[in-house]
Amino acid sequence: MHPVIRLVNRNLTISLNKGFMIWQVIFPLIYIFVGGFAYTALIDSVSYGNKSLDYPAYIASGMIGFNIMNSALVSGIIIWNDRRHGMFEQILVGPFTRTHYILSNVYTIGIIGLISATLITAVGYPLFFESIEFNLLTMPLLVFASVVGSILFGSIASIISTRLKSSEGFNVVINTVFLFFAFVSTAFYPAEGSPLPLSIAFYFNPLTYLVDVVRAGIFGNFDTFVAIEMLVLATLAITLFSIATKLLAKLEL
Amino acid sequence: MSCIETKLLSKSYGVINAVDGIDLSVNYGKIFGFLGPNGAGKTTTIKLLTTLIPPTAGSMKILGMDAIRSPLEVRKKIGVVLQQPSYEPTLSVEKSLEKYGMMWNVERKMRQDRVEELLSAFDLGEIRNIKNDELSIGQRRRVQVAREFMHDMNLLFLDEPTVGLDPSARRGLLDFIKLKVKDGLTVFFTTHLLNEAEYICDEVAIINKGKIIAIDTPDELKNKFGREKTIKIHLDSIRRDLSNLLIGIKDYELDFNSGTNITIRSNDSEEVLLKILQILTANNIAIEDLSAIPTSLEEIFLSVVNKSNASSN
Repeated sequence: MHPVIRLVNRNLTISLNKGFMIWQVIFPLIYIFVGGFAYTALIDSVSYGNKSLDYPAYIASGMIGFNIMNSALVSGIIIWNDRRHGMFEQILVGPFTRTHYILSNVYTIGIIGLISATLITAVGYPLFFESIEFNLLTMPLLVFASVVGSILFGSIASIISTRLKSSEGFNVVINTVFLFFAFVSTAFYPAEGSPLPLSIAFYFNPLTYLVDVVRAGIFGNFDTFVAIEMLVLATLAITLFSIATKLLAKLEL
Repeated sequence: MSCIETKLLSKSYGVINAVDGIDLSVNYGKIFGFLGPNGAGKTTTIKLLTTLIPPTAGSMKILGMDAIRSPLEVRKKIGVVLQQPSYEPTLSVEKSLEKYGMMWNVERKMRQDRVEELLSAFDLGEIRNIKNDELSIGQRRRVQVAREFMHDMNLLFLDEPTVGLDPSARRGLLDFIKLKVKDGLTVFFTTHLLNEAEYICDEVAIINKGKIIAIDTPDELKNKFGREKTIKIHLDSIRRDLSNLLIGIKDYELDFNSGTNITIRSNDSEEVLLKILQILTANNIAIEDLSAIPTSLEEIFLSVVNKSNASSN
């Protein structure tokens, strides 16, 4: 078995525990069902392209992007945990190279992102099935969003993991980043109608682009703007992945 | 051919020479002890030899391979227990052994057999289902060491493997290592416990300030550096007048803890002993007990390191 596959196997075993699954499934479900239905009293519907979506359908589709980010951040923390528990050095004195280690994390993050997106799509399906317009063009958008989004957010978590030394600092930074990404985005509410500074801030957040691509994939609303968003996402993912890889390769032991 | 061979191996961090041109030659099938005070360069040397960090200068051959050119090939044939703890907090003891075997590409059936064998050898059976995060430091260390025996290897690096272990677990581990060495394994072993090194090592090197200051078998080191011998004489009665009687004799100490104790520490201890015995006999002073304390590796270590520090100062 190739060393990268062995490391991915190990990564998935240590990541896919009860706590992680609860975090990955229960947490977004609370947003979808509790938040979605509670806010329906305030937000009746959200205009999306040439459609009008009810709020639970809007938030459920947003939660797919949110969950990809969430899982990628959590699995990106593999590096942090490996450093903290001595496994990073232990792996590197074994039959592996740093390249094996980096690639295994990318694949792990991608796989977990896909699993998370699939889980939330399955759970949210009853809420947005009436508005779904899957077709040959839009389906790959979901896969693109899952993989590219996972690499992007996984790279962010990796960068943070390699730069910080204390657990306290790491937790503060990860939580702050998470809060900004989650709530200054179109995952929960549309940019239109928000105060101007906030709606501008939305577009300094990669989650907004990710969620927009996911929604385009579900509701069949692919246009030039979404294509630009995909380009931005891909460029950001490549850049951040390169930085994360360089930092990891230079990490002193 | 040696199992480990280094020539002028060095590692610098800025102006600090953590390892300063060391030459090592470790034979196959032996346990090589690597001793030194804190910060002497032991762990840096292990990191160099296990290819975790590259050297600043020098060369090293591990198992006949150029470790600078082919680090991955070297790592495939060695096992390493690092000084720092390493564990998967979410995995149980059994699962972490099994997964570690998988990471080393050990075939499934063999993995299962080895897990059972190691759980028993390292007395981990009762905690096999406990997660690593919930183990005591000593238990976790036992798992960390046991885990390394999940895969085949020709050379094993052990960086203070017995830290946190109770005496019985420590002895069990040392005996297990001895057994593996009989089967052909070579071991590079660092420890702070010199009685441990004396018990297990065939050859010992002492490193201080990045340089090797002594290297030989424990017995030869004792012969070379252990000329000073300690002899103790015990008298039943308290004889405070002894210091007057022994005037002119050097290298002895008196104490009056439950009788009178005369401790001789000298390079010529036999000669000193003879003089003291003559005085005691002449004064009709009865000896209750007389004992010679063998030179330990610890004394050699302290003597060699102190001399090295004094000369570098």
